[in-house]
Amino acid sequence: MSRTKLAAAAMFVMVASYFFMLAHPVVAAERTVKIAAWGAKSGPLRSFGVNSEAVLKGAVKAINDSGGVKLGDGTMAKMEFTYYDSACNADQAISIARKVESQTQALAGIGPTCSGAAAAMYGIFQKKVDDKSDTGLQFPILTDTAIRPGLAKKSQWTFRNVPNEITMYDALFKWLRAQYPDVKTIYGGTETDQAHSRITFAAVIVQKAKKYGFEWVGGGIEGVTGKIIAGMKNVLKVSKSSNWLLADTNFSVQARAFKRSGADMMIISSHPFTTCGMLKEMRRQRIRPKVLVGLTSSSSAEILKGCSAAAEGIYIPTGFAPITPAAAKVAAAAVANGGSADLHSAAAWENAHIIKQVVEATGVMAKPETLKADRRKVRDGLESLVKVDGLMGEIGRVQDEGESVKPYVFVQAQKGAWKVVHDPR
Amino acid sequence: MSDFVLEFVEITQTIGDGLFFGTTYALIGIGFSLIFGAMRKLNMTYAAAALAGAYVGLAAFTFINAPAPVVFLISALASGLIGGAVYITCFRFIPINNHLAALMASIGALFFIDEIVVHTTDGSPLTFPALFDDVMFELGPYGIRGDLLFVLAVNIVSTIGLIYVLYRTRLGLATRAVSQQDVAAQLCGIDVHRTNAITFVLAGLLGGIAGSMTASAVGVLSPLITVPLTVKGLIVSVIGGLGSIPGAIAAGLLVGGLENAFLYFRGVNERDMYVLLLLFVFLVFRPDGLFGSSTDRD
Repeated sequence: MSRTKLAAAAMFVMVASYFFMLAHPVVAAERTVKIAAWGAKSGPLRSFGVNSEAVLKGAVKAINDSGGVKLGDGTMAKMEFTYYDSACNADQAISIARKVESQTQALAGIGPTCSGAAAAMYGIFQKKVDDKSDTGLQFPILTDTAIRPGLAKKSQWTFRNVPNEITMYDALFKWLRAQYPDVKTIYGGTETDQAHSRITFAAVIVQKAKKYGFEWVGGGIEGVTGKIIAGMKNVLKVSKSSNWLLADTNFSVQARAFKRSGADMMIISSHPFTTCGMLKEMRRQRIRPKVLVGLTSSSSAEILKGCSAAAEGIYIPTGFAPITPAAAKVAAAAVANGGSADLHSAAAWENAHIIKQVVEATGVMAKPETLKADRRKVRDGLESLVKVDGLMGEIGRVQDEGESVKPYVFVQAQKGAWKVVHDPR
Repeated sequence: MSDFVLEFVEITQTIGDGLFFGTTYALIGIGFSLIFGAMRKLNMTYAAAALAGAYVGLAAFTFINAPAPVVFLISALASGLIGGAVYITCFRFIPINNHLAALMASIGALFFIDEIVVHTTDGSPLTFPALFDDVMFELGPYGIRGDLLFVLAVNIVSTIGLIYVLYRTRLGLATRAVSQQDVAAQLCGIDVHRTNAITFVLAGLLGGIAGSMTASAVGVLSPLITVPLTVKGLIVSVIGGLGSIPGAIAAGLLVGGLENAFLYFRGVNERDMYVLLLLFVFLVFRPDGLFGSSTDRD
């Protein structure tokens, strides 16, 4: 081949490539919307991470199957995610947050699993945007699982899409009051080494029960007025022999305290493993309260796997049940990806879609040179959201606090399944 | 009944419950003691292997619907095999005087086994079959759990069986000879490594029974209980006297009873603090434990 022909061929290839790139901007740009997610993929709480990852995988696939995410210049980009293992450990969660912020092109993060890890991790983020004296991480986080009330306001870069337990338990006890007008007294216990279980029990559940006329046995607890947090220390004091720890295996003393109380309504504020242990011990001791109430985190498949017979009848408020077509689709996607959709993990689906919505609304470019600006746009976009579509209906956003107000239902364990017994949406 | 009588019943019932539940601690403590007695080394993997054996038994229950006694048997066999594997990987090739290396290797194996279980089960609590789960014997104001009585019976039978093996068989003679003076035992023609391996398998069999009994008593199996059970087993074997089987049984019951008493009087947040204080008191004032001998190997 002569030099002239070779040059002509090269020119042809270049011109063809140019026109091909113009016609196929996605292929040419190869830009992607990257998300970093992390949660417990090892350790005893691994199921939380497995479920979140399974749901997130389904969400990202659904987004990409429908064309991807539209960037600021009109390019359609695929969404990608990387899931890291933070093992429900604060140190690991912090370490991953630092790594993701400084060494990856991720636009936003989703995670971590546990409230304790989230509380510690949020502390390393910049508290107020544009505060030059604060060198904390400037990277938007949209947490999916950690549910302990009031965490996200620690930083203006941290947001959560988790059920609001204060609202849910308020509605639950209001509903229970109407359903069980003869129920007067309550008694309960919690895992004191788990911040979520303990704080929700001592600062929310007992207070909300009191608000609707359910009195702690023996004439109530000093300081508990029905207002959130009021009398929290005294709640833990009076229940000291009916509480337990996350890894406890013997619940005889606690169950006898429950039995001795003779309360009409009993509350078990703990995660699935000890909820099962306690429920089984209550069954052995033939403790049959008129009403049994559990912690939101226990409205999961683990309870049905571990102790469905003993859990029969327990009421739990939850932010997820496969009762809408969208929720049913997510439940199926989670199973297909080796997980299970519940009130914690289902939020990962919503989070991926919220990030898509924000990226499209704020004109994110998803280029290496615009990374910092893009992250800021995502943060500002999350901050400005007033409401978004969720799997169970509309999700309200609480500006300045980074929190959400999610729709919820009340479920009851019935014959090995969670049945929706009340739908206040 | 007067308040005093009611309180008395409550306290005695609380301590009694603890004593019965302490039988599961005793079973774990015996395993620690057996291996320490034979090799003068701590096998930190013991409780993890016991629970891993219970998971294998649970798999048999889940996949072939095996009845509870078969589940317990499979748990014991699986744990015995794991015990043998732990000996080969963590002890066999480490010089006998390097206690720290063997200890660290077994700690590594503990977390490795635990993580295998976590990854296999996703950490979910799983229902473990129980015998006499709903049986409750009522003696006046007292109640005794049928399943814990069963655990106690299994504990007694296992201990008798173990003592028989140790004191009435050639294997037991070899084990005791190796534990007293391994070089002399070797000169007498005893294969030290084989004897140690069999001791690990034997302890593993017992561990499998302990693991399945513990899971049965709780009703649920979860990787969450591995580390606490390891700690309880160590506490029990130290308080009972490292290497002493009767000591492990007595200490298991003692720790179980006191644990419940501390829970009843001081609440769950202080309970473990007092149990650890008890360990500290023993280590300072009676380091050989309840039944331990102060004489070391020759």
